[in-house]
Amino acid sequence: MKELLKVGVSGVRGVVGESLTPQITASFARAFAVFVGQGRVVVGRDTRPSGRAIEAAVIAGLQSAGCTPMLAGVVPTPTLCMLVPALGARGGIAITASHNPAQWNALKFIGAEGQFLTPHRAAELYDIYHQGDAALMPEDGLPESETVQEPMALHTKRITDYVDTQAIRKKAFRVAVDCCNGVGAVHTRAFLERLGCNVVACFEAPTGAFEREPEPLPERLGALSSLVRSHACDVGFAQDPDGDRLAVVDERGQPIGEDATVALAIQQVLDAHAKGPVGVNLSTSRCVQVVAEQRGVAFFRTRIGEINVVETMLSAGAVAGGEGTGGVIIPAIHPCRDSYAAMAVILELMTMTESTVSTLRAGIPNFFLVKDKLVVSPQNVASILRFVRREYEGKRINLMDGVYVELEDSWIHVRPSNTEPVLRISAEAPSKEQAARLMQQVRAVVETAIAKR
Amino acid sequence: MKSVRFANFGVRGRIGDTISPEMLIDFSCAFGTFADGGRVLLGRDTRSSSPMLHASVLAGLLSTGCEVLDFGVCPAPILQFSVERLKAAGAVSISGGHTRMGYNALTLIGPNGAYLEPVGGEVVLDIYHARDFRRCAWDRQGVRQTAGDFLDPYLSALAALLDVDAIRRAGFTVVIDPVNGSACRYLNPFAERLGIKLVPINGDESGYLAHDPEPRPRNAKQVSALIGYVKGDIGFVLSSDAGRVALVCENGETASEEFVFPVIARHALSRRPGVLVTNCCTSRMVDDVAARMGTRVVKTPVGQAFIMAALADEDGVIGGEGNGSVGLPAFSRAFDGFLAIGLILEALAKSGRRASELVAELPRYHIVKRQIYGEPHRCYRALETMQVDTQWADGGHVDLTDGLRVDWDDGWLHLRASQTEPMIRIISESKSRQSAADRALAAARRLESLV
Repeated sequence: MKELLKVGVSGVRGVVGESLTPQITASFARAFAVFVGQGRVVVGRDTRPSGRAIEAAVIAGLQSAGCTPMLAGVVPTPTLCMLVPALGARGGIAITASHNPAQWNALKFIGAEGQFLTPHRAAELYDIYHQGDAALMPEDGLPESETVQEPMALHTKRITDYVDTQAIRKKAFRVAVDCCNGVGAVHTRAFLERLGCNVVACFEAPTGAFEREPEPLPERLGALSSLVRSHACDVGFAQDPDGDRLAVVDERGQPIGEDATVALAIQQVLDAHAKGPVGVNLSTSRCVQVVAEQRGVAFFRTRIGEINVVETMLSAGAVAGGEGTGGVIIPAIHPCRDSYAAMAVILELMTMTESTVSTLRAGIPNFFLVKDKLVVSPQNVASILRFVRREYEGKRINLMDGVYVELEDSWIHVRPSNTEPVLRISAEAPSKEQAARLMQQVRAVVETAIAKR
Repeated sequence: MKSVRFANFGVRGRIGDTISPEMLIDFSCAFGTFADGGRVLLGRDTRSSSPMLHASVLAGLLSTGCEVLDFGVCPAPILQFSVERLKAAGAVSISGGHTRMGYNALTLIGPNGAYLEPVGGEVVLDIYHARDFRRCAWDRQGVRQTAGDFLDPYLSALAALLDVDAIRRAGFTVVIDPVNGSACRYLNPFAERLGIKLVPINGDESGYLAHDPEPRPRNAKQVSALIGYVKGDIGFVLSSDAGRVALVCENGETASEEFVFPVIARHALSRRPGVLVTNCCTSRMVDDVAARMGTRVVKTPVGQAFIMAALADEDGVIGGEGNGSVGLPAFSRAFDGFLAIGLILEALAKSGRRASELVAELPRYHIVKRQIYGEPHRCYRALETMQVDTQWADGGHVDLTDGLRVDWDDGWLHLRASQTEPMIRIISESKSRQSAADRALAAARRLESLV
């Protein structure tokens, strides 16, 4: 099946040469310019080869409606988010399909405060697009684009001001990095050297032709593990193509799991920087909850989707949080997922505790997550979810995104996929067996519900 | 009325009205599809809308897999000159040319450096209308490269064509007004190569044109006012793409744009005889010059594309139009303001005459121009009526190459629907001012009654 253009809360996403064309890109950029009003708009991209044509179309769309494109070039998405308020811009557009495969690309829209558009604001933007009469400016209103000098400098400074850079530098860690041929290939070596690290890297050609599957899952980190072992590194870091997600490999070359990445980062923020609330999305492992509860701070869960996590964290005054997929959010640096902040904080944790990564990982409780999916027709989803909810009557149920049931030391989650006609089912428990048993139960409930239709 | 025009060799229209990035990307995708993902040169003028057009074209060309050599701000004739040298499939030139601020255009250039010929241009338009574009997967997207040094090969070829020693020895002081357009940054190297003392005005790439960029006497007032003070030998006004030029004599006289081509033709044909090509509404001065030099004249419809095509068909040596346009196929397939300036300077140097003398040597005609405004469909119908019933032509020879032209012994009259505005243009030329005016008035009255 031909992949359609997906227009949603996380932006406009499609397959290059099929659904994502420069014409559509220019139209959305023009609508965005009308939405934010005349002024600066920061534009950045990851290393995908299609990014250049899309960037040109974005520039044209912005200029045609009177916005000045501020070109940051190849930059991490969190860097771009920070640049928007720092440059006094009206907004930003990130050209990246993040962890999606190379044939995908996307526009992600950033508001003046440096965060992705909330669902309500995104809906306003899409209204302007669909109305199709976004104003064109006459010639004397058309600005030329400008180049952002040293786009990574601000991001690096925010982080090195936040952590104890002197102490980390003294350790002179040996660090291996898997840049996934993405933005990290341009920026990560210099960043880690600023923290006094000796860096070895793989997939460091900024080609956008990913030599590793772009989502940094544990089973894909073989090259990084070998690098850690062959160079006797203290730690290995793996990024996704736009540098918002991070996976960690310990000094023995063992991936610690993406949820543990988030848990370790949050642990360090709470222990060394600020005691305060912690927020993560519904599908994040319980190990993060344990880290927060051990330190006596409030813990809450949010809907899936980065902007939902950020919004809730900001309104609750959270000091740390994120997504279990390796997306660490530290609002004091900037309220967005940031693999660079995560690397620095984990290096700081290693410095202060004088512990190896494997020892630190051992301090995080183990949970086991199992995932499954069942095909359902979209019109039955609501009644199935209602049935599941009734089955768990009396338990602690969270309905913000499907049905999430919190049990003693485990949880289950049933939710409709945003992209496929399936129900996604997850269950997490302290042991593999418990998790499998839990999954069996939930599956049975859902299957009964389907059968009743 | 909205203003946009698609031609075989490009698209032109008003910014903020008809020229949207989506339409420009579609049009560039059509050209990139036509060029089959080959090498395409890209250049623009300095208008403040040109960066937007540039980004749109870049997006379209890259998405169709073209290798884009980006010339940045570059006069159209230099871009056109470079196409063959760089073995490109073509070029896209972004410039409003002689049209005023607020308008802009894409011009498509074929593999020989000339405006895309109709047979190719029609294919581009078919692709545009069907939106049947070449689509490239993520790993087959085009790449953009900054063009290397393209100025030196151009200036070297120009210097090789001209008698630079003679120009240098003459020690000319030359006032040039590039109207803040694409020629600004190239004037100093040009002047150095030819050994002239340059007095530039309006040489600021501010995005705003200093005045109406059509090179003609009323837009040459600044040069005319300055030339006496700086003891200039001659002055020039360029269009914003440096394709056209108007000249100002050392005494401050602003010669009509109609003089540029005959002045150059006379000189160039004495260097190298051969067929001359011009359009069907250029002053008879050109016919007289050609007759004196014993040269055949070929007439075409109005426009650079037609002149260059006829030059190729007829193996012509020089082509030009009465609007200040000149091209030499031995040099390039473009109307070229730098070339025109060089040839006029060479003519001055070799003849030892003053600019005003060169102009005075040409036979004198009187030209009267009028416009009749009307809805386009009414304009066309009025012209058709006048073509059918030619009694009003009073025994003159009627020609329908482009619009309607009538030739009498002492002059001619030309009627043509404008390509850019809702009106009919009337040009009347005669030995006598009175008969030129009378014929224009008679045609205007008749057209008014029909429109």
